[in-house]
Amino acid sequence: MNSLDPFLIILQGLLRGAGITAVVTFSALALGLALGFALSLFRQFSPSKLLHGLIDVYVEFFRNIPALSHLFILYFGLASLGFRLSSMGAAILGLGLIGAAVTCDIFRSGFKSLSPGQTEAALATGFTPLQTIFTILTPQAMRIALPSLGNFAVQLLKDTSVVSAIAAPEIMFYARSMVTSSFQTTLIYATAAGLYLVMSLPLMQAVRMLEIRYGRVK
Amino acid sequence: MINFFQPYAEYGGEWLPVLLDAMLKTTLLSISAFALAVVFGLLLWFCQASSAPSLRHFASLYVTVVRGVPLLAVLFLLYFGLPGIGVTFDAFTAAMLGLALCFAAQVAEVFRAGMMAIPKGQREAALAVGFTPGQCFAFIILPQVVRVVLSPMIVTFVSLLKDSSLASLITVDELVLTGRAMATEYFLPLQIYIAVGLCYFLVAWPFSLLSRRLAVR
Repeated sequence: MNSLDPFLIILQGLLRGAGITAVVTFSALALGLALGFALSLFRQFSPSKLLHGLIDVYVEFFRNIPALSHLFILYFGLASLGFRLSSMGAAILGLGLIGAAVTCDIFRSGFKSLSPGQTEAALATGFTPLQTIFTILTPQAMRIALPSLGNFAVQLLKDTSVVSAIAAPEIMFYARSMVTSSFQTTLIYATAAGLYLVMSLPLMQAVRMLEIRYGRVK
Repeated sequence: MINFFQPYAEYGGEWLPVLLDAMLKTTLLSISAFALAVVFGLLLWFCQASSAPSLRHFASLYVTVVRGVPLLAVLFLLYFGLPGIGVTFDAFTAAMLGLALCFAAQVAEVFRAGMMAIPKGQREAALAVGFTPGQCFAFIILPQVVRVVLSPMIVTFVSLLKDSSLASLITVDELVLTGRAMATEYFLPLQIYIAVGLCYFLVAWPFSLLSRRLAVR
């Protein structure tokens, strides 16, 4: 027995949740990016005012209400209608839907920052509107959006800690359950915080490289 | 659909005062945490801009740690963890402190970006016409920085307001915890959690609109 033992036992316990944290982060990220990109395309390029209004309502609702509140509606609320989601399902769906609202705004500001001349020139040289959107505008908007998307991913990784409140077995969930059995509260939560930090550092480094590469940092 | 809305008609009168009370608590927590975050953020910003390397290193370490650690972990450490080493806060204070510590980094970043928007020539011109550095900061730079940072500061406040919901997990009886108690009492989780969500929306949305209006100018 040496003095590092309690720490290692705690770390081992918390690592059981790290996999779920990663799964929830990546799944919610994928859902958020796909849905958010689709929403931004419709919001930016569809002529329908009704669709614009609906997307705006979606974005406002998901951006002005806390994640915890959405998760409770999905997990406890829907269950009362007989619509039972697993805690993982509710976690991924909830964070993904919120993520879609956030990334929709990020993609849109990417599209909005492109000069209208791009579209006009592409159409004038014979690109169809869809070709213009996907081969001319999207790659440029992506470049502008990348650093913000990276920041969103870092935020999302941290936000997965909230899903412990609906009993998804990720890092924070194990931390809380270990506290009730071992009473080494300070060490357990400090280790959990450190584990999140270690997981987000590579992501943060990637964001910094994107920012330097795409010229946000002067 | 009739079934879904019926509880609101039946219990609305009982729920409303309870929810309003909890909304007040959430708002109070958010405003006091935000005020503290601005103070911490300004201190952090001074550290970042300082000429002493040790202060700059401290600031950059602080920002890295805060950006990489979830608020929930900070709240649990402050509320459940610190008593283990003899420091005890009540839940509200712990929540306020945790939110302020985490959002200080964001506030500092907002001020840094705002400061960069002010051309260097402003300061040079002010010093050249005889302002002292202190006067220059207070009368020339600061008023302009405040105008630039107003909109992103409101965005930060809305994030903080939403994140204040995590205080429910360290037993602060704000909106979400009140909602949970009501949900177990009435067995109507869907209706109650939607009402709770709407309460947040009612507070947060006007601020979001305001920040957008200010950003356009």
